Amino acid sequence: MFGKILKFEISYWFRSPLWYIYTALLFIISLLITALAVGVFDSNTVTVTSTTKINSPLAITGLLSVFTFLIYFLIPSIIGSSIYKDYKSEMYQVLFSYPFSKAQYLLAKFISSFLMTLLIVFFSMVGIILGCYLPGANPDMVSEFNILNYLQPFALIVIPNILFFGTVVFGVVTLSRNIFIGFITVLILVVMQGIASAYLGDLDTKTLAALLDPFGVSAIEFETEYWTVEEQNNNFIPFKGYILYNRILWSSISLLLFFGIFSAFKFNHSPLSLNLFKKKSQRITKRNFGGYKIHRTPKVQLNFSKLRLLKNVWSFASFELKYILRNWAFISIFAVGILMVFLRLTIGYQIQGTDTLPITRIMISLSRGGIGLFLAVLIFLFSGMLIHRGNISKMNQLLETTAQPTWVFMSSKFLAILQMIVIIFISVILVCIGMQIYQGFYDLEIGLYLFDHFLVQFPNWIIYTMLAFFAHSLIKNYIVGFISLLVFTIVINLLPQFGIDQSIFIFNKISGTSYSDMNGYGHSLSIFYIYKIYWGLFGVALLVIGSLFYQRGLAKGVSGRLSQAKKRFSARRKLILATSLMLFIGLGSYIYYVDNIENERYSGKEIEEKRVKYEKEFRHYKQMEIPRIIGTQIDLALYPEERDYEVNGIYKLKNKTKKNIDSIFLQTSDDLFEYDFSVPTEVSLVNEEFDFKILRFKESIAPGQEINFSFKMKNKENSWFSNNSPVHHNGTFLNNSILPSFGYSENYEISTEKIREKYDLPNKESMASPHDSTALGNTYISSTADWIDFEATISTSPEQIAIAPGYLQKEWTENGRRYFHYKMEDKMLNFYNIMSAEYEVIEEEHEGIKLQIFYHKGHNYNLERMMDGAKKALSYYQNNYSPYQFNQLRILEFPSTYGSFAQSFANTVPFSEAIGFVANVDEENNGVDYPFTVTAHEVAHQWWAHQVIGANVKGSTLMSESLSEYSALKVLEQRYGEKKMRRFLKDALDKYLSGRRFESNKENSLLYNKNKPYIHYNKGSLVLYALSDYIGTKKFNAMLSNYIDEVAFQEAPYTTSLEFKEHLKKATPDSLQYLVYDMIETITLYNNKILNYEVKELENGKFQVDLTALVSKYRTTNYGEKNYENYENCEITYTENDHKESAVIHSLPLKDYIEVGVFTENEKGEEEVLYLKKLKITEIYNQFSIEVDKYPTSVGIDPYNKLIDRNSNDNRMEVEN
Amino acid sequence: MIELKLNQVSKTYANGVKALDNINIEIKAGMFGLLGPNGAGKSTLMRTIATLQEPDTGELYLGDINIRKDKMNLRKVLGYLPQQFGVYSKMSAEKLLYYFADLKGIASPSEKKKMVEYALEVTNLIDVKDKNVAGYSGGMKQRFGIAQLLLNNPKLIIVDEPTAGLDPAERHRFLNVLREIGTNNIVILSTHIVDDVKELCTDMAILNGGKILSKMSPKDAVENLNGKIWTTITDREGEVALAAQHNVISSSFNQDNSLNVRVFSDLQPNENFKQAPADLNDVYFVHLKENESATAKNA
Repeated sequence: MFGKILKFEISYWFRSPLWYIYTALLFIISLLITALAVGVFDSNTVTVTSTTKINSPLAITGLLSVFTFLIYFLIPSIIGSSIYKDYKSEMYQVLFSYPFSKAQYLLAKFISSFLMTLLIVFFSMVGIILGCYLPGANPDMVSEFNILNYLQPFALIVIPNILFFGTVVFGVVTLSRNIFIGFITVLILVVMQGIASAYLGDLDTKTLAALLDPFGVSAIEFETEYWTVEEQNNNFIPFKGYILYNRILWSSISLLLFFGIFSAFKFNHSPLSLNLFKKKSQRITKRNFGGYKIHRTPKVQLNFSKLRLLKNVWSFASFELKYILRNWAFISIFAVGILMVFLRLTIGYQIQGTDTLPITRIMISLSRGGIGLFLAVLIFLFSGMLIHRGNISKMNQLLETTAQPTWVFMSSKFLAILQMIVIIFISVILVCIGMQIYQGFYDLEIGLYLFDHFLVQFPNWIIYTMLAFFAHSLIKNYIVGFISLLVFTIVINLLPQFGIDQSIFIFNKISGTSYSDMNGYGHSLSIFYIYKIYWGLFGVALLVIGSLFYQRGLAKGVSGRLSQAKKRFSARRKLILATSLMLFIGLGSYIYYVDNIENERYSGKEIEEKRVKYEKEFRHYKQMEIPRIIGTQIDLALYPEERDYEVNGIYKLKNKTKKNIDSIFLQTSDDLFEYDFSVPTEVSLVNEEFDFKILRFKESIAPGQEINFSFKMKNKENSWFSNNSPVHHNGTFLNNSILPSFGYSENYEISTEKIREKYDLPNKESMASPHDSTALGNTYISSTADWIDFEATISTSPEQIAIAPGYLQKEWTENGRRYFHYKMEDKMLNFYNIMSAEYEVIEEEHEGIKLQIFYHKGHNYNLERMMDGAKKALSYYQNNYSPYQFNQLRILEFPSTYGSFAQSFANTVPFSEAIGFVANVDEENNGVDYPFTVTAHEVAHQWWAHQVIGANVKGSTLMSESLSEYSALKVLEQRYGEKKMRRFLKDALDKYLSGRRFESNKENSLLYNKNKPYIHYNKGSLVLYALSDYIGTKKFNAMLSNYIDEVAFQEAPYTTSLEFKEHLKKATPDSLQYLVYDMIETITLYNNKILNYEVKELENGKFQVDLTALVSKYRTTNYGEKNYENYENCEITYTENDHKESAVIHSLPLKDYIEVGVFTENEKGEEEVLYLKKLKITEIYNQFSIEVDKYPTSVGIDPYNKLIDRNSNDNRMEVEN
Repeated sequence: MIELKLNQVSKTYANGVKALDNINIEIKAGMFGLLGPNGAGKSTLMRTIATLQEPDTGELYLGDINIRKDKMNLRKVLGYLPQQFGVYSKMSAEKLLYYFADLKGIASPSEKKKMVEYALEVTNLIDVKDKNVAGYSGGMKQRFGIAQLLLNNPKLIIVDEPTAGLDPAERHRFLNVLREIGTNNIVILSTHIVDDVKELCTDMAILNGGKILSKMSPKDAVENLNGKIWTTITDREGEVALAAQHNVISSSFNQDNSLNVRVFSDLQPNENFKQAPADLNDVYFVHLKENESATAKNA
């Protein structure tokens, strides 16, 4: 019997169009996404490259988890419907009386539908395989076909996950006899998983997440989080550790669940229902006699006036709204959504483990991200449920024969959806405000909440509701409509990947409404509303078309509905449709005109081609010598109200070469309308495409000769549609890049090797080697200048303060404008900023240096910390390195819309409002006081960039970013002590190791780093901190001070990482020279591990701790291949007890000093060091015997994680009592 | 007096079934019975009049309302009860009736209240007005359907097999209500229960295969057959033989397993036959039989 049912079921599915639709859908999506990833569509988009292969086991696991994610939503209609269809067709009443057992019935149903689901995934895999080999696929991204690469993720991820979801859905649908509940269950499971992994994704709870994630994704992420490119491409998913536990756990849960369903299932009539309040049973009879006397029928007045109909719309809307609010699908999705918002708000916005204050701007952005998906789901779902409400309940014939016009029905349902959105908004706002109050934060901005929700987010959702009404009016089945809407939204967002990237072609694309406390919505709002009006017009057209097809009456089939639509296409509807479409197209054309014709616009692909052309045609200009800028004087007028600027400037240029210079390469721009040299010139070449000119000096410029270049610039007028100026209403932040520059721009060349190959560009390192002595003529900041004199006069509106590097010479008001004159008296790089905003200022003096913070009113939460950071940093650097070159230091807040970073210009530090100013530092907690450390880092740049600046070659950021980060760490250590360092270092280690995973090219050592942040910040800070620890901070800082003495403010050739390394080596004792090689020159990793320990109490009351630890280290190539042999091809090995091959541990030969520590806890629960020493290690297997005074609580090898080690958790072991 | 007029109304479904075949009919105020076997096209005809379905060709008028062009005006005076319907879940009869009163255009709250109470009273739902309609038994739900139909003082009432699920008490109650409304308005009642028509209808039509086979008052129809219905008692084999020779319109078993056979014939078929008084059932079967043999000849 089992076999028969199974066979019947499977042949049922093979005859079901639904199954074919699902299979085709998944196949096409898999094919397209894979094809996208391997660059099949490169002919119309930006070239896709990657060093990771698309068909490695890990990559396929990633792809498959995405696709199975879609399948989870199909499961209710496959596995769920396997039994449901018997209920729906009322077949169950017959079937359940047939002679087969519960087990046969359930198993056959489940297994057949489970197999059919797996078959869909199988076709999705076929899609992936085909996608890799489509014509145009980039062969570099595809490795040799290996069926195991596909089978492993299939067995490890797909089967257990579908088993779990399938069982849950099967159970829910079977017992509730409602397929919809199955659907909601999937939704809730998926969201819960998302919440859980977000919640547990923290460094300390990763392992728990790895275990509890029913998808297994977190487990795989955990086990492979530090995999290098090499490992990602070649390794199979390790079936051990957390992956193994996770899979076993969830498969057993699935089986248990199935067993539970089996015992709960009964062949009987009524579904399982939860009756919380059982009603008393009572006998009911109706009145069977009487009632023959007929009352006179009351007369009623029927009213169908326009006004009455409008009133009806309102009252029917609340009728529909009640239905939504009482619907448990709404209640559950809404509840999960609010929970999501709540959790996001609780997690908050953390930077380096430190919370951000719950300011309204942040609450809004967090809650937006939390509720968005749920809002979309609710709108898409309930639009359908309302439109088809009559059909679903089979009351449609009664409703449709009433004399209410169709528009009354449609409008009332539309209005009900809008009311639903309003209710959700209000709930979200209340949760946000509640959270602010709970956290004791009372700077509530109610106006901002209301504005953002009702005037910014609301229009956006209204347009989606219009789309939903269109789709559901056309599509009869609301589940199909719902899924179509979801798919549509996903597809729309993929359009840019196919080369369609203009917002006028992408439905309801939100074009930026970024908000900052300083600048509000800025000018982004007008563009936003233009696009909302644009799509709103389209939405109106959709609604009109929807109203033509809105189901009323029994018209069936395409032709029936078409002819019905034709009849409904009244003159008024024609007029509305035509008007909205005309306005839509008109507005769209105008936007297109502004974006493409009035202003040139290039797609990503075109920009790529332009860059190739520039290099191919003009690269020879790179050789052209340029007179270098030695002085800059600008006169800049900012008009914040109109967002305009005007600038008059003079560059003083000098021929620093030993040859005559006869012409100059001038980079121009639309804004540059006048320029002149102090010597006569003639134009010898004009290139409009790349905006440059070559000017010939009538008399060439002799070595040492100085000339002036004067220029005038102003922006094109801004309009509602286009923004032609970098000026903000409040919080302008400009830098020297807007001003004219000279010379061929090498930065514009394509640097990615693979793309260069594609366009037949010569192989070239994107950055010169520090060994290349000809490349040392420029700093990595500027290619047109060395050190300059700087003077600026800036005018702005009277409420604002304008700032540029230098010292304020004079401030005055003239013609209702405020003027500031700045002059730099010391040497500075050709790298400056200009800011203007309504600032509040605090000022202090420290060691003769004037410290100022310019901040946005109300952002005074962390000013003291920042001031303290600046002071402590200045003191530390002045004491240890060299004197501060300026007598003033300013920190300036700028709007978060520019980004969340801080930057250091000469005596001027712009600092984003998103970081620092609104940090919620809790000193008790683990988090890093980053307002303090970021300030210290930026102040350090006044030394490490503004005194010592490396040449424009690889490795130079070691002397700016790494040393600044090191310096900040030292200041942090002074302020907070060593304990805080552990959090910082652990974070840095994690970021470095995971940074390697996303390396797009190849990983270099610090010495040759090509500006990769994960190397210069994270590895840099770790390694330099460790070196100073090994060498001794005093000695290390003295070395830095020497180095500064030697190279500060130098002229070309500029210093390099090689020179720095020599200084470092000189300061390092012979026994530790290996550290410089390991840490700076190569990529070297340790694998340190405590194996076991033993504690004995000695007769003298002391304790003897016997430790066993494994130490090994290896180097990796640029792609992460491991190497255990040193330059003499020596390698050491150690075999653990059993003699299996896998138990052999390899290592580079060791002569290393590694810290061994024994710790205890004092009464306060704080850690106390009993023993901590760097011991010389030469073997992999080590035993130590240590005598300590107190009973230890933990032991460790490299316990503070000073060395780079991929598993930092096994360095310590807790001592059991 | 108001009049419903159908002019050459035809409808063919996508699957080729001709549900309405050139229907021409005039219906005056009063109760009009639409008789016909399953699948005759009764529901299609009623849905077409009720604006739920478009005919392929033909015109429909209620007084001067052109039904196909001016659906809204028809709906204002329409009371329609489909053969099968459901209701919104979790809503009491009273609340739903208020909703329908709104839908049907009753604006004044006091009128609405009176009307809803009246509808509940005549359908005997007063006691259960606070219970969810979705939980009603079949008959109760049917009565609710009738209640909603009454709300707008309809002039054209279309009820598709309304008595199907009702117990005898309710059936009578309902037919009484219909009779009350039917005095001044048009009530079209489809049924295959001949007794419904016999008891109430002033006029009737028999529909089969999308065609109207006959239209006359039940009284006239019965009278036309008087003297032409003959009956005899036989057994199974006998019935087969009789059917071959005579125009057998119906046969039914007696308790002793013998068969009562009725034959339509102008003359006495043979001496075994006794003349029987004609009833409406005979009218029904005679017309179907005629139609059947005509169709068979054509084919």
